[in-house]
Amino acid sequence: MNIVVPVKLVPDLVEELEIDDGGTALDTTWLRFILNEVDEHALEQALLLKESLSGTVSVISLDGEGVDDVLFASSAKGVDRLIKLTGVDYGVNVNNHAMARFYATTVRILEPDLVLVGVQAHNDLDGSLGPLLAEYVGMPYVGYVSGIAPINGRCRVRKEYPGGLIAEMDVEMPAVLGVQAAESPPRYVAISRIRQAMKTAAVDEQAAPDLDTTGGPMVDSMFKPETAERATMITGDEDEVAGRIVDLLRELGKA
Amino acid sequence: MEYEAVKSIVVVLLLVVSFAVFGLRVYQLLWVNLQRGRPGPPYGRWIERIKGLVVYVGGQLRLFRFLAPGIAHFFVFWGFVILILTILQAIIEGLVAFADPGFVIPVIGEFGPLALLQDLFAALVGIAVVYALYLRLVVNPPRYEGSHRAQAVMVLSFILTIVVSLLVINGIRIELGEDPLADWRPVASAVGAVLSGLSDPTLEVVEEAAYWIHLIVVLAFLTELPGGKHFHVVTSIPAVFLRNLDPPGRLPPAPEFNGDVGVNAVEQFRRRQLLDFYTCTECGRCQDVCPAYASGSPLSPKLLIMSLRDNLIQRGVALRDGQQNGAVLESELVGDVITEEILWACVTCSACDQECPLFIEHVTPIVDMRRHLVMEGRMDGMLQEAMANLGRYGNSFGQSERARAKWTKGLPEKIKDARREPVDYLWFTGDYAAYSATLASATKTTAEVFRRADLDFGLLYEAERNAGNDVRRVGEEGLFEMLAEDNAAALNACEFRSIVTTDPHTYNALKNEYPAEINGGRPVLHYSELLDQLIADGRLRLGRELGYRVTYHDPCYLGRYNGVYDAPRRVIEAAGCTLVEMPRHGDRAMCCGAGGGRIWMEEGDTQQRPAAMRVEEAAGLEGVEMLIVSCPKDLVMFEDAAKSGGYADRLAVKDLIELVAEAL
Ligand code: SF4
Ligand code: SF4
Repeated sequence: MNIVVPVKLVPDLVEELEIDDGGTALDTTWLRFILNEVDEHALEQALLLKESLSGTVSVISLDGEGVDDVLFASSAKGVDRLIKLTGVDYGVNVNNHAMARFYATTVRILEPDLVLVGVQAHNDLDGSLGPLLAEYVGMPYVGYVSGIAPINGRCRVRKEYPGGLIAEMDVEMPAVLGVQAAESPPRYVAISRIRQAMKTAAVDEQAAPDLDTTGGPMVDSMFKPETAERATMITGDEDEVAGRIVDLLRELGKA
Repeated sequence: MEYEAVKSIVVVLLLVVSFAVFGLRVYQLLWVNLQRGRPGPPYGRWIERIKGLVVYVGGQLRLFRFLAPGIAHFFVFWGFVILILTILQAIIEGLVAFADPGFVIPVIGEFGPLALLQDLFAALVGIAVVYALYLRLVVNPPRYEGSHRAQAVMVLSFILTIVVSLLVINGIRIELGEDPLADWRPVASAVGAVLSGLSDPTLEVVEEAAYWIHLIVVLAFLTELPGGKHFHVVTSIPAVFLRNLDPPGRLPPAPEFNGDVGVNAVEQFRRRQLLDFYTCTECGRCQDVCPAYASGSPLSPKLLIMSLRDNLIQRGVALRDGQQNGAVLESELVGDVITEEILWACVTCSACDQECPLFIEHVTPIVDMRRHLVMEGRMDGMLQEAMANLGRYGNSFGQSERARAKWTKGLPEKIKDARREPVDYLWFTGDYAAYSATLASATKTTAEVFRRADLDFGLLYEAERNAGNDVRRVGEEGLFEMLAEDNAAALNACEFRSIVTTDPHTYNALKNEYPAEINGGRPVLHYSELLDQLIADGRLRLGRELGYRVTYHDPCYLGRYNGVYDAPRRVIEAAGCTLVEMPRHGDRAMCCGAGGGRIWMEEGDTQQRPAAMRVEEAAGLEGVEMLIVSCPKDLVMFEDAAKSGGYADRLAVKDLIELVAEAL
């Protein structure tokens, strides 16, 4: 079973987000890019399948800060092949359409049985990566998957619907699956293993084809949520606080 | 053949057989297995080691921490040493019986004062053994839970038989007028007097019987020793002699096998650690002080060592018999022999290590095995997240490193940036003081007190990383190295005269585990030490006598690990407070339960959390209104425990710095 996991690095929300001077995108100077959280699950699911059925797992990523760390950590976890598409960076304006086109080229060459992607990311402005990629490589797509069991060239997947409904369906392979949760939580990989991988693992660098963002939205303006008026804390003992609330309600009622 | 000739022959046979059995067992159970272990770093420091033998084996110093049993053991030990000569006498006497039935070792056997000493010690050993039997059989304190009771009782009976038979032999000889040193043997004379009703021939028969019993029991004891809890009679001497002399806060380098860090087979431990396993006397002192055990977790440091010893011996036997597999060889050390729950339960408080009379290390094997678990990614979700955060952001809170100095917002004066300008004191705050919202005010107070003392100090700002003390004790060695490298790079780029830190864990790592070049001999201070100095120098004047009755909790990594007990107490006194000690204080203080990475792990099933027990202990003190702490984690742990335990209204939990600020 050969599995490809195209990953996506997204801005780390732990950092304060700023809008750049153009007003249409995030300011990337202070951004830290980390692996999209559900991509960790896609990767874990791929490794679980590899461990139970044997085969190989390849990870593909665009270039950018933090990408090598992600690749080496994947290698330390057991990924066989690390592919980095050079010449494009998560930091620049690559939308999901463009990303799907990049990945499609590589996926076609690799001829995998399964392509596992994280089902969504917090910066998906133009739909999620999975269905777009499926379209470009001409494979079926199922999203919100939380269990995968291949049986004779087909794949039985568990798909979660909103509201707790769960369906089981068979998908013809090769297929693209949007993973919501792996069957077990993503594994921890010790730093010393990652450090070993840095020394031993090879990253296959491939030049990315030309950037083509068509199909995605044009952003006119981007802004931070406006902070509502600040709340005032009412201090004092119970009577004072109650009195103040009554006053406030009266004033608001009048207005 | 004459009886004497037969006696000599039988003694020879007994000696040959018993020494052969003893030798063979020592070789098979100890020697072969020790060889399988990993060599440790070179020992060195021989003078100190010899001193250790004198103090801890000769003086039995650590045993007195449990007073009555310690005294009893002292007499048994010295009795054993002194009575070796009488045993020798008995053996030689038997060997030469065919030629000289009344043989006495020349000079020493004729020396009155020695005879007196032997006589008295025989009695003292007897009394001590009876007390020990009483302790085992009647009192049976909980520390013996899980120890081999039958073995203990058997050996105690052996010892009792050995001294009683000795006194009987000597008593009868005195009674028969055969002993020129009779006056030097008051106890034996008394025993003889008791037997004086018997006729001479009967006495002779009884004496011979006592002789055989004496000799046979001595030799049986010898053959029983190897592999059991009494093997410490032999192994304790090298174990104490070769004990770890490094500061307790410095973990030995992580073992590595084919690139994998950690231990997953008992032979992968250092030889010194293997020797420890054989040396355990199952006395349970470690178990008695273990907070993890007390809170109902499956960890007992004593049972841990016993399991490791049993596994070592069983594997040794299986390998010797040429087994290729089988249950013993197939079982994994980590997981099967020692479960994950046991390993993760340890708070690395070191109470066990310090209590063990024979310097047996518990924390090092635990960390070695944890390292294996980390390598395999076997840890709970919370811990995993903490490690991932530490790897990515350098703090366990999962906040940006740029937010590290956020707490300084609103301070009247900006704190110097030690990366930009030289400072006297580089203040390494540690994660909790910097990131925890509950601690922000205490951290600000510290800055304020430093400012009032006119201290020239600065921060590393976002360049500071978690110092890695607990990361290392979790077993994530690679992450520890990474954090230490980052911190080292930041520190090396700064000009400062000493480091001061708010957090004892950080203090321990910086002081003991970071390469010496980083500090370059510059002192690392805990803020309690700095406050103490500032008060002594008159730079910090505490004008107000606060007059509170307080108690103080010694943090493990400040007290037991680094011996800082007095500085915080002097500061409390200087603030005009009366210090009332908890029953467990100083080096006996009980851990708050946060150490060794436990603060990042899921609770697990415990009967009572260590922090809750500790707060209860403090709250039980007459008239004490405040529990003073000197570790940011303690503030979090104890405030929480005081609230949930319902003590919050009568026991305030305060940081030392708050006391100082109030007294300024
Ligand atoms: S270090 Fe503390 S918690 Fe760990 S085994 Fe020893 S006494 Fe118990
Ligand atoms: S490890 Fe030390 S303290 Fe613990 S039972 Fe053994 S000898 Fe006693």
